[in-house]
Amino acid sequence: MKKQEASKTLLIGIGNSGREDDGLGWAFVEQVEQSNFFDGDCQYRFQLNLEDAELISHYEQVIFVDAHQGELAAGFLFSNCEANAGTGFSTHQLLPESALYLCQQLYEKVPQAWVMAIQGHQWQLKEGLSQEAQNNLGNALAWFRTMTGKLSKTFA
Amino acid sequence: MTKAMNRKIAIDPVTRVEGHGKVTLHLDEHNRVKEARFHIVEFRGFESFVKGHPYWEAPLLVQRLCGICPVSHHLAAGKAVDQIVGVDPENLPPTATKIRRLLHYAQVFQSHATHFFYLASPDLLFGVDAPAEKRNIMEVAVANRELALKGIQMRKFGQELIQAIAGKKVHGVSVTPGGVHKGLSKEERYFFLDGKTIPSVYTMIEWSLEMVQFLKDYRREHLPWMDEFASFPSNHLGLVSEGGAHELYDGKLRVVGAEGTRVINDQADSTYQNILSEATEPWTYLKFPYLKSLGREKGWSRVGPLARLNVCDFIPTPLAEKERQLFKALTSDKPNNHSMHTHIARMIEVLHCAELMKEVLEDETLDQGELVRQGEMRNVGIGVIEAPRGTLIHHYEVDDNGMITRCNLIVSTTHNNEAMNRAVRWVAEKVLDGKPEITEGLLNQVETAIRTFDPCLSCATHALGQMPLKVSLFDSEERLLHEKTRG
Repeated sequence: MKKQEASKTLLIGIGNSGREDDGLGWAFVEQVEQSNFFDGDCQYRFQLNLEDAELISHYEQVIFVDAHQGELAAGFLFSNCEANAGTGFSTHQLLPESALYLCQQLYEKVPQAWVMAIQGHQWQLKEGLSQEAQNNLGNALAWFRTMTGKLSKTFA
Repeated sequence: MTKAMNRKIAIDPVTRVEGHGKVTLHLDEHNRVKEARFHIVEFRGFESFVKGHPYWEAPLLVQRLCGICPVSHHLAAGKAVDQIVGVDPENLPPTATKIRRLLHYAQVFQSHATHFFYLASPDLLFGVDAPAEKRNIMEVAVANRELALKGIQMRKFGQELIQAIAGKKVHGVSVTPGGVHKGLSKEERYFFLDGKTIPSVYTMIEWSLEMVQFLKDYRREHLPWMDEFASFPSNHLGLVSEGGAHELYDGKLRVVGAEGTRVINDQADSTYQNILSEATEPWTYLKFPYLKSLGREKGWSRVGPLARLNVCDFIPTPLAEKERQLFKALTSDKPNNHSMHTHIARMIEVLHCAELMKEVLEDETLDQGELVRQGEMRNVGIGVIEAPRGTLIHHYEVDDNGMITRCNLIVSTTHNNEAMNRAVRWVAEKVLDGKPEITEGLLNQVETAIRTFDPCLSCATHALGQMPLKVSLFDSEERLLHEKTRG
């Protein structure tokens, strides 16, 4: 029941920490939340859903953080996210670009958005990140910390 | 494929349902439908792996069956473990009962909203002839922004209330054996009453009324399709409480036949094993429950919103009761067997839940009184509730150390198994008969028919959720002739 207008930036961790490296999104947001370098709001999701379009409409910037199954050269990738309807929908999955599209259609707002994808390696029914995923998480966090320092007025 | 032969069609996967389904249609040598099967092809086995766990873990473990209606499993298991600690529903602390009911109403409200706005509305707004890429919620947002906005807010309201009670929107914890963990403070209640941060419960009632009206108007504008599509006679099973009232949380089992005959007359839910049996088929993991008194062929029932409105004598909130009476008038007070009317029934239940949530949220005592009771330990607990999709049965047996030795779950979608198969057959006979291949129209209509039941295939088979649709066509010698996949 937190007031959503408190910050300009929202960080959303997506994933399932009960499926090994699928917990990367949550782990990233947890560590950012415990630090003092990010002053935005944090949320955790198993998956995005339609009502998240309403949530993100309250922010100027949104960063979606999710585990990635493919190869990423640096072990993570921070990229722009543009609104896109996509072609399908299930109550178990909504892509960040589709959430932005709905936000645009329903609330006539499109926050600036990015996706932080962090490469995972193991996806079994087990808690805890693999060593490779932990390394990627550390690198992604270090990069994010540096970037937020440089852009402290942006990510407030 | 010019040679006349028996054929089989499969639709795999079925889209915009919760879980993974597949349809196969078997044709005879004249391309007429010989058999239609709705297959559930996944298996998870919750009944097995809860064995050996302590009874108090059951409400926590079994809610992982589903990310859509975990509250229903949490509460049904909770009612069962209450009995294991010697507390029957009528002996639960009054505040605990109110909190559990409020949690349940919020769950039914948000689940029905999810189904109607997110999954079913594209069928209604764009029609079954619209291309598949058009029939989704993204297009609803463009075509009917107001409907989509209200749908999102209504689902959100239910989820916020679930979070306030259980700590999380998905897989939260409220139930403890014999009670609940926490009540609801004045501040928490006012969040849902004052409309300052989110639309209030009074707004939810207004919007629910609008949605009922929307569907009634829609039916009038789409006759005879809304009355005829996938309609067939069936029994109807559901819980009722005192005096035959519509009941969602705790009541007695009632079954009425297609013409209104009382087949099962208000039996204690703990006697379900005397009433129901389950058949299996080799082509699906989903069982086929039936009434022992009528046998496998005639004893199957529908469950869910339509069934609940058919079995009850009244709805104990004024606005929903008024709508129920109008709904019953459509079928001259006889049971309603029109599958598409399930959407109207579902929205009347949304209205009822909104009224019920208002009643409980206005109660000043939700943070007062004891929250947990204990009695004499027992070895058996049976919890039955009306989940959004229908009657949900949880049955646990424990040893003297409280470890689970047996678990039996009959979930709502399982009760609807035969009905869903009949609905698929209805479509196949009307659309496919005499034609040699799968058309987009057939795919759409099969999905629409299945979707009226709001099946949660993840719960029913206890499988991880993906929502694709696959249809396959086979000849009389079981050779695959044609297959289409959508997902």
